Amino acid sequence: MSDANKQIMAQKSAKIAAGAVVCVESEIRGDVTIGARTVVHPKARIIAEAGPIIIGEGNLIEEQALIINSYPENIMPDTEGVEPKTMTIGTNNVFEVGCVSQALKIGDNNVIESKADLGRNVILTSGCIIGACCQINTCEVVPENTVVYGSNCIRRVQSEKPQPQTLQLDFLMKILPNYHHLKKTVKGGGTPVRN
Amino acid sequence: MASLLQPDRVVYLVRGEKRIRAPLSQLYFCRYCSELRSLECVSHEVDSHYCPSCLENMPSAEAKLKKNRCANCFDCPCCMHTLSTRATNIPAPLPDDPTKTAMKKAYYLACGFCRWTSRDVGMADKSVASGGWQEPENPHTQRINKLVEYYQQLAHREKQERDRKKLARRRQCMPLAFSQHTIHVVEKYGLGTRLQRQRSGAPISSLAGLSLKEGEDQKEITIEPAQALEEVEPLPEDCYTRPISLPEVTTLRQRLLQPDFQPAGASQLHPRHKHLLMKRSLRCRKCEHNLSKPEFNPTSIKFKIQLVAESQVLLTLTNPVENITHVSLAACEEDDPDDINSTAKVIVPSKELVLAGKDAAAEYDELAEPQDFQDDPDVVAFRKSNKIGFFIKVIPQKEEDADVTVSFKIRHDFRNLAAPVRPSEEGADNPTEAIWLTHHVELRLGPLAP
Repeated sequence: MSDANKQIMAQKSAKIAAGAVVCVESEIRGDVTIGARTVVHPKARIIAEAGPIIIGEGNLIEEQALIINSYPENIMPDTEGVEPKTMTIGTNNVFEVGCVSQALKIGDNNVIESKADLGRNVILTSGCIIGACCQINTCEVVPENTVVYGSNCIRRVQSEKPQPQTLQLDFLMKILPNYHHLKKTVKGGGTPVRN
Repeated sequence: MASLLQPDRVVYLVRGEKRIRAPLSQLYFCRYCSELRSLECVSHEVDSHYCPSCLENMPSAEAKLKKNRCANCFDCPCCMHTLSTRATNIPAPLPDDPTKTAMKKAYYLACGFCRWTSRDVGMADKSVASGGWQEPENPHTQRINKLVEYYQQLAHREKQERDRKKLARRRQCMPLAFSQHTIHVVEKYGLGTRLQRQRSGAPISSLAGLSLKEGEDQKEITIEPAQALEEVEPLPEDCYTRPISLPEVTTLRQRLLQPDFQPAGASQLHPRHKHLLMKRSLRCRKCEHNLSKPEFNPTSIKFKIQLVAESQVLLTLTNPVENITHVSLAACEEDDPDDINSTAKVIVPSKELVLAGKDAAAEYDELAEPQDFQDDPDVVAFRKSNKIGFFIKVIPQKEEDADVTVSFKIRHDFRNLAAPVRPSEEGADNPTEAIWLTHHVELRLGPLAP
């Protein structure tokens, strides 16, 4: 659980909207808001250390994905005057298995493929596909509909955004509760959710 | 094991036309000549063609007709991955009743790696899953075909003249009289058969590979010479000022993969049919025996004939054959012409080492008799079934050597089990004689400890 010293004003627990499917085995720390129709697989990790994380609707966060709002490397956690920055994630994104995302702003309809690594200063707009094992740690705004692929992270622009994974989301929302316990949905502050 | 993870640690010298040092896992052993062979001392022949994605076999004639491309599979023009066909449902008016719309399947090609789709270049979705996709036509095809026909006829005529001259003079004439042009033509139309490639680097001695038949009708084909134009299309006016949109520009690799069109814009990159791969067989140049012959079926990775060196030649520590083998090591002489790489002196055990044969059943047989070889503990470190570990002393010559290399000669006896059994008049007396093979081995031992 996060320390009360740092985040006095913010919520200490995760707010999970109704309709979201968040498995108990996932690790959610800090002030995290999860929108409706989002599926969080077991062993996914969403860690809000240096600020809150707001996740939109219809997202798919697969196993061993790590979404972390961490302190930049050269700043110690105890420094005063560091404002907590909010990490925003839009709708219909897919975080595939094993990816690491520290990007502060992610738009809609993006796909972050397996073992991809996003740095803190990247801003994804919509429709971007970050290929498997690609690392993006530049300080830039990735334009819409960009595909980053290959071992050299070459890019190209695709003509249409990737399809939203509605079928997959529906299937998972039906099947996952059969095999996993889910975290209770909490609307507004108050009751801490058991991890 | 040195052979799997660090193949370059132990290299063997191959005494072919060129002296090649290669690890044993990349060498072949011709058991008719009893010599090591590397990839450069064997002749490569095409066995069969197959498509790497649909694994469909194709006879050579058909492959040549289709320019070595598969009929069903496509390559992504952007990343050269294999394209897969995807289906979507689109509402389309029923043929009977134009007012109602039913869902029909439309197929398009998509790449799973770079997310290129056939809709990016404007190719319409097809209603059949396969066979609907066409490659764009090359506008110069007709001219090229005509030129090819003309030159084929020319080469055929020249060949007939040579044959006539040959019969008249009755001697084997070397192709010194060949002009540059003719050789170029022959190489273009030659089939690359064994008759033409008897020795690497030798000039082609006959126009054996022409495709024009002897008795064919010889019409005169004339071609118009290419016309040089004085006026060239001018560059667009904003050529220097227009900002470049990088996603629109094709890379050199993408461009050159389609030499017919070489499109400069990404919106003109059409998918091409996938290249076929081929299976090759290797043949020893001296004795013309096959060293490696793969199976015909593309799904099978086995070989009909596989004479790789690892299964025939002694490894430094392991005995791959089933008989008892005697190994003796000898250090290289002072001025050995093969000894160019070693940076350290080596003292090898002078006694002969005996290696037991490989016995596949011995692992499972617990009651097997222990092998009793009298091992000198100074020489032999350990012994296990067909492996042996022995000591050598290395004296580095330089103080700070980054890579200590030693070379020595291994001499072992080899029984050729495949040699034809000659009917011996002395009776069945020792049909397999042992021959002694000597290999020059180089070991890279690594850096010196400081």
